Amino acid sequence: MSAPSIQEAVKRVTARVVRREEPPLDMDKIAPTRDERLFLVLSIFIGVLSGLLVVSFRIAIEWIKILTLGSAPHAGQFRLLLVPALAGLFVAALVQLFFPGARGSGVNQTKAALYIYNGYISFKTVIGKFITSALAIGCGHSLGPEDPSLQIGAGVASIVARRLNLSKQRLRLFAPIGAAAGLAAAFNAPISAILFVIEEVIGNWSAAVLGSIVLSAISSVVVARWFWGSEPMFRIPSVTLRDPRELIAYAVLGIVGGFSALVFSKALGYLRPRLRALPHWTHYFQSGVAGLLVGLIGFLGLPQVMGPGYEVIDQAMHGQFAWKLLIALALLKILATTLSFSSGTPGGMFAPTLFIGAMLGGSVGSFEKLFFPHLTGSVGSYALVGMGVLFAGFLRAPLTSVFMVLEVSGNYSIILPVILANMIAYLLSRGLQPTPIFEIFTHQDGLVLPSMEEEREESELHLEDALRAVDVPLIKGSESIAEAAQAISVVQASALLIHLWDGSWYAMRAEELTSIGATLTPDTPLERALPAERAPILFPDLPLDSALPYFPRWPLVPVMNRASKGTLEGIVTLEDVLRRYQRL
Amino acid sequence: MAVLQLRPVLTPEERQQKQKLILRDALALFSLFAIAIVLFFVTYLLFHSFSVHRQQLAQRWLARGDSALHAGQPQVAIDALRSALAYAPDEENLQIELAEALAAAGRTQEAVAYFNTLLETQPGNGLINLQLARLAARQGSEVLAIQYYQTALDGTWEGDGYIRRREVRLELVRYLIDCKRYEQARSQLLIAAGNAPDDPNIEIAVAGLLEQAQDPANTLHFYKKALQHRPVRLAALEGAGRAAYALSRYLQAKELLERTLNHPDFEKQPADIQAQYRNMLADADHILGLYPSSELTVRARAERILNARRIAQERLASCLSGKTAIPPQLQTLAGQWQQQPATLRLPQMEKDPELEQTIMQLVYQTEQITAQQCGAPTGDDALLLKIAQAPEAIELP
Repeated sequence: MSAPSIQEAVKRVTARVVRREEPPLDMDKIAPTRDERLFLVLSIFIGVLSGLLVVSFRIAIEWIKILTLGSAPHAGQFRLLLVPALAGLFVAALVQLFFPGARGSGVNQTKAALYIYNGYISFKTVIGKFITSALAIGCGHSLGPEDPSLQIGAGVASIVARRLNLSKQRLRLFAPIGAAAGLAAAFNAPISAILFVIEEVIGNWSAAVLGSIVLSAISSVVVARWFWGSEPMFRIPSVTLRDPRELIAYAVLGIVGGFSALVFSKALGYLRPRLRALPHWTHYFQSGVAGLLVGLIGFLGLPQVMGPGYEVIDQAMHGQFAWKLLIALALLKILATTLSFSSGTPGGMFAPTLFIGAMLGGSVGSFEKLFFPHLTGSVGSYALVGMGVLFAGFLRAPLTSVFMVLEVSGNYSIILPVILANMIAYLLSRGLQPTPIFEIFTHQDGLVLPSMEEEREESELHLEDALRAVDVPLIKGSESIAEAAQAISVVQASALLIHLWDGSWYAMRAEELTSIGATLTPDTPLERALPAERAPILFPDLPLDSALPYFPRWPLVPVMNRASKGTLEGIVTLEDVLRRYQRL
Repeated sequence: MAVLQLRPVLTPEERQQKQKLILRDALALFSLFAIAIVLFFVTYLLFHSFSVHRQQLAQRWLARGDSALHAGQPQVAIDALRSALAYAPDEENLQIELAEALAAAGRTQEAVAYFNTLLETQPGNGLINLQLARLAARQGSEVLAIQYYQTALDGTWEGDGYIRRREVRLELVRYLIDCKRYEQARSQLLIAAGNAPDDPNIEIAVAGLLEQAQDPANTLHFYKKALQHRPVRLAALEGAGRAAYALSRYLQAKELLERTLNHPDFEKQPADIQAQYRNMLADADHILGLYPSSELTVRARAERILNARRIAQERLASCLSGKTAIPPQLQTLAGQWQQQPATLRLPQMEKDPELEQTIMQLVYQTEQITAQQCGAPTGDDALLLKIAQAPEAIELP
């Protein structure tokens, strides 16, 4: 998000907060469950509205495409050069002058809304995203409608939540709910959309929001299917894996996908910041020039690379292209998308990613058919797996990539090749390019958003990581104060652990022992001298920070064995915990 | 009740605020509902207009593709059909037509890939298998082509499946003949003929293919079947004449060729074709003139045998004179002639049927061996050689 849009967002949020403070409503008192109840109802509304908007968005793109590029664009038509160039100029002007928040794909903007702007996405941004993305994609820029749909959905959610004056906490949660709805409608695949939002936007399985995400995603898909029908996005040919040796070919596809993802992300990572660093006045022309170059590719022979290219993916999946043409399409799509996206033209990268993956998969499949005809895998199944491969390698959403292929194909038998190829591509891409593409973009935009990939891989520390053997005196509750004092003085410990008759524990500081020794006789049993409270019982697998609340009261915390009741595994002190954290 | 008791007691002002809040929320939800309804109708109108337009575009491009394909412009057809397919992706016939266009444009590899993908979704589709068979044949994959043809025959066909299967079988036969797999071709033809209706055109087509598959007996049978239909077709007469001639049934050939020449359409045939049939008739006539038929009188028969003997001996003498070293076969043959009486009279022949037979055997043997040793004969020798190939067939009906 650019500087003016950030200021605008901050102003609006501040104004909203001021407005909310005007009526001194004590919501917790007069309607304590209002937000919770509205949350679920609104999730459905958000799903329905997002679904309708996304359907309109897709139709707008198709209409614009037919009206500007014609019903069957083919090489040699001068309009292929003119239309994307002129549309690029117009869209750039709109973005620079009216809709600065519409720039980019929409995924990072939604994350920024969630983490920085308290879930705020302006109405103007939603309208701007709709108009500029539809124009750019419809006029042939090599971009897709899914990411903009995600932002449109998030924007709808934000607008709806603001209108109902929900709490700030709730307001923030609506962005991912809308995002899931928008993406689900665009993909016609609710599970993939939910997973993507969890993997890439929220970063964790938050029970507070999961139910609403599911509700909104399903509502939007119901609406989308009412219009498009229940068929998946692509006509999927029959997919079978009869010969396990074919997995080698799928593994090769994974390697090809991993390297292609690297090339794609390197190209974007190289060109985008350089174009952004050019003088501001050039930003009015960058989309136009990118459109001209993309149009040139179409003009010179491959108009398939223009636009999102769903029908081309479909054709590749049905074996309509030879493997050399498929490779050419994949390479030129990488080039075209790099140009379109780096120039700041609004539009997404999901569709181009799927396109490139399908072409690569199709080429590997066609190659296999040509040179190893005894293997049974169809070109379509390779193209399908290829889509998932690049999704995993480039967008770094491995779980989504697997489920997306399953959901889009409706065929579980392809699970093995999908998992194998996707994981190879994911690991290869991660090894070669440690920073995921969305994170590269956020850094280029000067924002610091949480990296979902890093968060996923963060290893949580547990008590067992700070556990140490019991090195303080261990005394029974029936023993006397004098015996305890002797035990503590022998080892010069600062605390001791008392095991009481009912199995509970008490951790006592040396000072506390001294003070009770001063008031009671030395032969008094310890259990009579102790207050009623007992030391908390923790287990080795609990998070390390779970011990922190107990240290102000207790000098140490006993850690027990879950399987064998009463067996002490060790103890943990505040110093142990802090030392363990400092070792990170 | 306990839960209710736990609720904080609201002041009248707070109660009023709560009522306002409920009203405001209800209004907000209602307005959201209204917006959803309005947006739904707007989306519906957009979607409907777009769907109609897509259908129109699909039809328009399909028509262009069809006409281009029929006009022999497969490249134009490919572009048009691809465009049509983009607007009607589920149209199966459109997909097949596109693959056909690819094949017609010589983009065999793409066409094969496309048909293979189609085949995966419809493995029993006869048309797809047929197209794959044609492509395999074009690529020289004989075994694969035959396999696809066979699957096409066993596959499903829309509407006129019965006729399409017969056409595919005849196409397979043509391919088998081209591959010189005559035995397989004959088997397929007999199946095709067995399933075919009593139609002279089909019988003529089958007979023609049988003729190419080197099965003159069945060829003659099917041409004769076709001749039973009225009006008599010239092609059937010509074919039957040719088949009878090839089978050495010269008596029958003569009759059929005479009918051929008398057919009203015969004069419309090209001159070289006419000459060919006239020559065949002349040959048949001469052969019948040379052949010592059992239908002849004893004298006439003896005269023909003596004439044949003279021709054969002259041919042998001519053959021997041209050789410096006489091959053993010719020596044996000459020895056999020497064992026969040097001079034979008609009465002698008339009285000895066994002698007649021996002489004729020797004549046939002479013509066959001299043809091998001294080249193809001409004139009466050539005709005698033809008789020698199947003397018992000459007068078969």
